[in-house]
Amino acid sequence: MSSEALIIFFLGGVVMVGAGILASNLLAPKSSNLQKAEPYECGVPTQGTSWIQFRVGYYLFAILFLIFDVETVFIFPWAVAMKKVGLSAFIEILLFLIILGLGLLYAWKKKALKWE
Amino acid sequence: MSLNELMIMRHEWALVAVALVLLIAEIAMPVEKKKQINGLAAALAAVVVVLGFLPAQYGSLFGGMYVTDPLRILMKNILNIGVLLIILQSVSWLRQDLYHDRSSEFYLLTFASLIGVNYMISSGHFLMFYLGLELTTIPIAALASYEQFKSKSAEAGIKLILSSAFSSAILLFGISVLYAANGNLYFESFELSSSLINTLGFIFFFSGLAFKISIVPFHLWTADVYEGSPTNVTSYLSVISKGSAIFILVIVLFTLFNSIQLLWQDVLYATSILTMTIGNLFAIRQQNLKRFLAFSSIAQAGFIMLGVINASALGMATVIYFMLVYVFSNLAAFGVIQTVGHASGKITIDDYNGLYKTNPQLSLVMMLALFSLAGIPPLAGFFGKFFLFTAVAESGFYVLLTIAVLNTVISLYYYLLVVKAMFINTNATPIAAFKSDYAMRISLVICVVGILVTGFYSPVFEYIKNLCETF
Repeated sequence: MSSEALIIFFLGGVVMVGAGILASNLLAPKSSNLQKAEPYECGVPTQGTSWIQFRVGYYLFAILFLIFDVETVFIFPWAVAMKKVGLSAFIEILLFLIILGLGLLYAWKKKALKWE
Repeated sequence: MSLNELMIMRHEWALVAVALVLLIAEIAMPVEKKKQINGLAAALAAVVVVLGFLPAQYGSLFGGMYVTDPLRILMKNILNIGVLLIILQSVSWLRQDLYHDRSSEFYLLTFASLIGVNYMISSGHFLMFYLGLELTTIPIAALASYEQFKSKSAEAGIKLILSSAFSSAILLFGISVLYAANGNLYFESFELSSSLINTLGFIFFFSGLAFKISIVPFHLWTADVYEGSPTNVTSYLSVISKGSAIFILVIVLFTLFNSIQLLWQDVLYATSILTMTIGNLFAIRQQNLKRFLAFSSIAQAGFIMLGVINASALGMATVIYFMLVYVFSNLAAFGVIQTVGHASGKITIDDYNGLYKTNPQLSLVMMLALFSLAGIPPLAGFFGKFFLFTAVAESGFYVLLTIAVLNTVISLYYYLLVVKAMFINTNATPIAAFKSDYAMRISLVICVVGILVTGFYSPVFEYIKNLCETF
């Protein structure tokens, strides 16, 4: 790719985005009321501030869930191609599962799963 | 995977196995026996180091994603030795009752980060390199906030994770631009022409990596993170994580970016002058020894860039040799700070007044380490710097050489300030005499032997130079 193409690409990007914002600013009808400024427009009026403290336990659960969520991403393609990839891949995926299981055991031992 | 292939990847396999053994030990051991994990971790680190020196085949795996050759094995071995020294230094700190239930976290995360270091050095593909880099940084960000009840430690962790996320983003952008221009990310078949887009990609790539090495103007996180982290994590950051980034930078610059050599020489010319000067000038004003060593390590990174600028096998050899010396010198200094801080809680230069009267051996080790960092003749640091200057002179950058020599004089001043505090200044309330534990002593003895031997024993440099010439 030559540098001219890069410059044209860059300028093109700036013009496209800039023109869009400018056009919607000029053309769109403007009205404003209090409800529009609220963070969620779901119909129920918001109460209080969103900067509150919440239990760190939620976070730990989310992390542990994420690990096993991602695990399926790896296992699924392996399961689809299991017959083709053979025994060595089976051993590898077992190793992977054992390591993840050890991680869960560790979290369990550290009482991360206990809701107090 | 055949046995031969296993042996090619033996550093990484050994480290994964070690990490798993520690994890199982942590799960299975009863609480009252947890203190044995410290000894186990040190022994396993020693096994990893020994295993790294076994002769084995070299080659590439995973279709060229993973490459080893004698030079990369040497780099890995240098850093593995460094980690062994750090683990020996942290045993007494982690044996405290405060950490008895958490000490395995420190070792696990350290070994996880070391796996990243090893993969990064062996990478043959930009994505592999990026994975290694992330694996190196994230565990260390967790470790920086290891002392959970100290606000400075938490601050260090946050600052490190934010700045490394930022630098990773810049680095990834650089890699993606390079991919857009070349359509290829394998190191082996990477061919670069000197066009605007490649220059852009290189600049972003270099900036991302410069964060890790803390080259000025990307050094701002260094002092705060080094000060706030536990001392052993600071030594890991300043030796292992910086060293690995320097090694991969050298490999990448000398192979992939060889065709735009004139460009990166200009970039390094400017940044090395800035890094040396700013690191040195800020180091003079520091009272906290960890901040002091942070700026000193910024200045040392500037000196290392002098070797990189000579784009030949000689430059490469001088950089690796200097890093070898730097590992021993810096870890000796950090070891003394760690053991003094552990015994007395004191960390400023004024606290070290009169240390020689009460703890003569530690003062001598600290003096040797600082003299080696400053580059005073019979020690290894002198030869390291001398070779770097030779490399600059050979490539004809005489202005740069003059500035570097002037900077050495400045650095001599502030290193000697600490030595003066220990040996000459008097103190009404000096640090009381104490005995450090065996693991710390072994580590300091290895460091001192390293400082002396790598300087006097010339085959070391010859060996590195031969490896670089055949690289």
